[in-house]
Amino acid sequence: MKQEYNFSRRFFLKTSSALGALAFIPKGVKAFYEEVKNFIVPKKEQLPLTISINKKSYAIKADTRTTLLDLLREDLNLTGAKKGCDHGQCGACTVHIDGERVLSCLTLAATVPGKEVTTIEGLANGDQLHPMQQAFIECDGFQCGYCTPGQIMSAVACVKEGHTKSVAEIKEFMSGNLCRCGAYNGIVESIQKVAAQ
Amino acid sequence: MRPFLFSKSSAINQALAKKNNTTQYIAGGTNLVDLMKKNIAEPESLVDITSTLSAKIEPTAKGLQIGAMVRNTALANDATVMAKFPLVSKAILAGASPQIRNMASTGGNLLQRTRCPYFYDVTTPCNKRKPDSGCSAIHGENRMNAIVGYSEQCVAVHPSDLCVALAALDATVKTQDKSGKTQSIAFKGFHRLPGTTPEKDNNLPANALIHSIELTENSFAKNCAYVKVRDRDSYAFALVSVAAALNLKGNQIVEARLASGGVAHKPWRWFEAEQFLKGKTANAANFEAAANIAIKGLKPLSHNGFKVLMLKGAIETALQQCLNP
Amino acid sequence: MGFFDEPYDLPTAADGRVEGVAKVTGGGKYAAEYKVDGLCHAVLVGSTIAAGKIKSFNLDNAKQVAGVLGIITHLEKPLVPGLADEAKIKEARLGLAVFHTDKIFFKGQPIALVIADTLEDATYAASLVTAEYEKEPAKLDFELALKNIQLTPAGKDRGNIEALNSAPHSVEAEYNIKAEVHNPMEMHATIAEWKADDKLKLFDKNQGVNNVQRTFAKLFNIPVDNIEVISEFVGGGFGSGLRVWPHALACIMAAKLVKRPVKLMLTRPQMFHSVGYRPAAWQKIKLGANADGKFVGIHHQAKNGTSVYENFNEGITRVTRLIYHFNNLKAEAATVPLNLSTPTWMRGPGDCTGDFAIESAIDELSYKLKMDPVALRMKNLALEKHPDNGLPWSTNYINECIEKGAQMINWKDRKATHSQTIEGDWSIGYGMAVGAWNAGRGTASAGIQMQKDGTITVQTAMTDIGTGTGISMQNIAHESTGISKSKIKIELGNSNLPPAPSQGGSNGLSSIGGAVVAAVSALKLKIAEYATMQNEAFKNAAAADILLSDTGVSFKTTNNHFISYTSLWEKNNLNILEVEASSGPGAERQKFAFCSSAAHFCKVRVNRKTGKVKIERLVTVSDGGKIISEKAAANQMSGAAVGGIGMALMEEQLTDERLGTLVGNDFAGYHFPVNADAPIIEVAFINKPDPNINPQGSKGLGEVGIIGTAAAIANAIYNATGKRLRDLPITPDKVLLA
Repeated sequence: MKQEYNFSRRFFLKTSSALGALAFIPKGVKAFYEEVKNFIVPKKEQLPLTISINKKSYAIKADTRTTLLDLLREDLNLTGAKKGCDHGQCGACTVHIDGERVLSCLTLAATVPGKEVTTIEGLANGDQLHPMQQAFIECDGFQCGYCTPGQIMSAVACVKEGHTKSVAEIKEFMSGNLCRCGAYNGIVESIQKVAAQ
Repeated sequence: MRPFLFSKSSAINQALAKKNNTTQYIAGGTNLVDLMKKNIAEPESLVDITSTLSAKIEPTAKGLQIGAMVRNTALANDATVMAKFPLVSKAILAGASPQIRNMASTGGNLLQRTRCPYFYDVTTPCNKRKPDSGCSAIHGENRMNAIVGYSEQCVAVHPSDLCVALAALDATVKTQDKSGKTQSIAFKGFHRLPGTTPEKDNNLPANALIHSIELTENSFAKNCAYVKVRDRDSYAFALVSVAAALNLKGNQIVEARLASGGVAHKPWRWFEAEQFLKGKTANAANFEAAANIAIKGLKPLSHNGFKVLMLKGAIETALQQCLNP
Repeated sequence: MGFFDEPYDLPTAADGRVEGVAKVTGGGKYAAEYKVDGLCHAVLVGSTIAAGKIKSFNLDNAKQVAGVLGIITHLEKPLVPGLADEAKIKEARLGLAVFHTDKIFFKGQPIALVIADTLEDATYAASLVTAEYEKEPAKLDFELALKNIQLTPAGKDRGNIEALNSAPHSVEAEYNIKAEVHNPMEMHATIAEWKADDKLKLFDKNQGVNNVQRTFAKLFNIPVDNIEVISEFVGGGFGSGLRVWPHALACIMAAKLVKRPVKLMLTRPQMFHSVGYRPAAWQKIKLGANADGKFVGIHHQAKNGTSVYENFNEGITRVTRLIYHFNNLKAEAATVPLNLSTPTWMRGPGDCTGDFAIESAIDELSYKLKMDPVALRMKNLALEKHPDNGLPWSTNYINECIEKGAQMINWKDRKATHSQTIEGDWSIGYGMAVGAWNAGRGTASAGIQMQKDGTITVQTAMTDIGTGTGISMQNIAHESTGISKSKIKIELGNSNLPPAPSQGGSNGLSSIGGAVVAAVSALKLKIAEYATMQNEAFKNAAAADILLSDTGVSFKTTNNHFISYTSLWEKNNLNILEVEASSGPGAERQKFAFCSSAAHFCKVRVNRKTGKVKIERLVTVSDGGKIISEKAAANQMSGAAVGGIGMALMEEQLTDERLGTLVGNDFAGYHFPVNADAPIIEVAFINKPDPNINPQGSKGLGEVGIIGTAAAIANAIYNATGKRLRDLPITPDKVLLA
């Protein structure tokens, strides 16, 4: 088997790009780049919504397109939930809905009424930091801090879900939260600390 | 994102009445909202069906019925699923992230669209996104694409892990359409190959929705495994994945199931390899022989020849893991 | 002084960073998060071709979107005085003078900017803008294009490279590294507000507020002081914030056009072509040694990609001149213009790339010599002086890094030949590599404000991109004043504060530390000056003799001269006592050479059936002089090691060579390590001060953490499997096919 498929990717890169240039004439490619000229632009739709965030009720009028993340950041000045990709690929926007960790960037605000949203701003008890927040400070579980609110919301859920039996389990169940600074040592340590309490 | 009307429906008939070809249902939203942000899906109205469909996992005479609204996490953690269909649980936990699994529905998982990078880049031709515009991947950066079952029009792969397990276990998809008609579609017939209509991912009838998934009790609960090879250890789509399940009598294989993700436009069953394993002794030599049968005749693209070797290794690994689950 | 728009008065938690509470509560404000009245949103539109010219636009559909306030293109735009004509554009050296050309240099190049009341409207309208182009052939294939580019000397030759031909043992090989993208978690963003026709306020993500300030002062022809740049919280940079990029200018132009504050945040796909990246690189190394392992010499050739509108030479061969004795050395380099955006410095720029090739080649040579790679390196280290300029190292403990690392990972467990340890489908191996970085220092300023209660606020314009600048400033201020940490506040990341260089090249702490020490001295002298009015003994006292405490001032030697701050403030009618001081490099730079260094050790498991590589252990030992903040420093090093895992195993930005598209330009397509990809990184420091580099004796760490990591991993893969992988990243497919 190995001999049969023992070609490098680079070899194919060369041959395919040369061949590709000739072979690559998709029939509709011209049509693809021609936009419809008489396009009718639809009007935006707005909805009155009552949303509960950190146990506070907000009566708002929102664009149907508005995500929970943009609602928090742009309209309610709750900027703790972060936008790191806006496509569910990084976890920086993690919040809790009815106690479970979810991605606010893929949640339409219109789907949230009737549920309880908890953001990083609602985690501390007044001046008293949540044990996970305290642990992140003590274990230096961050550098730039941008992914941190998402990490902490996820970490709180990770402990609650009971996924803390080993370093490997913590790492797997925290892998939905990317940290480009690579502060994974401190993040794992923070979770171990809180799980042990 | 294009503006759209939003409504919720609490009953299935109500939801179906609202459905037409400019309306889309939203459940978990983990794929649809993403596609709408990319202007790939541009519905004129959205119907929220999270309180329309069942979120229950219920026993049936022959096995288990999973409501379409059961979230991926709930399905993976369900005690009956873990006891009787652990392959389902393993596959789910190999996919996405805890947050996405908390959001994503079972029905939505079946309907998620390909992750081919050209499908996602609206500045490039893609027959799946825009019929007859061309396929950028077939002679492009197709490392993640198909090695079997593709066509000149499309070389995309189906991204789901759950579906690979459901394919291996011969699940049934139950649908309901506007007229109230229900259908049971065998899993292997649910997703499509691209052929000349790559814009169609599956055979869900027009204006119908997935009502539930049914699983029939089997003898694969004890010896099954899900192996997923990816560029990073978690939160990545499969290069190749393998769902393997063995019904063993002592050391003899009574029946085997083998399915893969990351290789085709639909979850792919390796029927010949399954057939080969039937009646054989469960050992490394037979596993390797089965893997060799599976990879025979595969036609990798310019940048994904490695998938053939990787698939062979993943099949062997998965079968071996079935013995020590 | 209230420069924070929204001050928060949360307490600093003990045992953590100064900004810790702000970061864990979501209270800290990053560039796009400030509440500004009347704010509207701007979204960029990118070109859909890679090379050519814009013929026309169709803006009609976008203009129909309710809420659209304006659209900027090169045809319709507000005046930027510094780009008013071709000569000025050239002089501005912006790279891409956004909206000032009809030429298209790369796919995704901004061609229009849509401004609307809401983000939803701006985003939708931007999706409706289309353009007609005159297409030209694009140069997109790095590996093809590099063949026609001539190498030129990179620095002076040493000895004669012909000596390599008679070396008894040699290695000659090529190395290829795919482009990598910084991708800090915070996407670059700017909020621009024109306070008056000639007064500008910016909330901006960058790594140097003064650089941003100077750039826009010039472009808009207004005094530097009329621009305030606020970058208090910066969500990572890794080099992407060291330049001023087109989107920031676009945002400022938009604010001018609509006469309202405008926010522009790049999308994640835009991040891949808007703020630089580490360019693709090709290298060739020829390395020779005598039978005893002594290096004969090295021939290092390197080419890196650049854009067609700007030349970026990464400096790949710089590190070749730094670590080892090579009596015969030849280094050559070239850049390869492509229809891509301009690359820029990314963590360990140049050295990270060059070091991978050198350290891989040395490892390969060690097997030929049948010599332990640790011993081979120890034999050839240039420990006394910089091999190029001949200056003695101020300090260089790279040998100690190696020794300590070897001990930590139990290097003696490593097998001398490959493929010796097998567990089921897994092969286990060990590898190591070293890295070094010219340790720099810039001139920086710091200010101190002291209150009657003895509280001090230490200030600088320097940013803290996550490296721990704030906590380190607090630690230095604490050590040099004696005042408790709880009474030391830190303010940074604002151009109104004392100026500082950009935070890059591992120069941040090295530069600002001296400034803090200088400001403390100024504070002591100022206090002594006031104290003299009460007690003549303080007259002409030297800063070194003055002791500060939480409550007052006294003499170091004779403490009977204690004066409380309260009485000092009252007697002198003081409100706030303010000092500012600068500090920078001096004559020591002519006497010594300076470097930071690190040794990386790795234990891997490689799955023979799937090609999967699992890093089981990763040990990083570094010499960064005196460690000022141990936790933050360790975090830097472990984070850099995680970056090294990404470079080694998964990071690659692919370009479609027909379409110019960056393939998979998001976090589903571009992989960097998740938590599960990294083991708990084991970090140690030599922690010996460098007495000459700066007053605090610390050398920068940011770069050395990643220089060498990828080679250590690749070398471990060889030890495990016998597969020598010279192209990065080493994804499972490459392991299988090798």
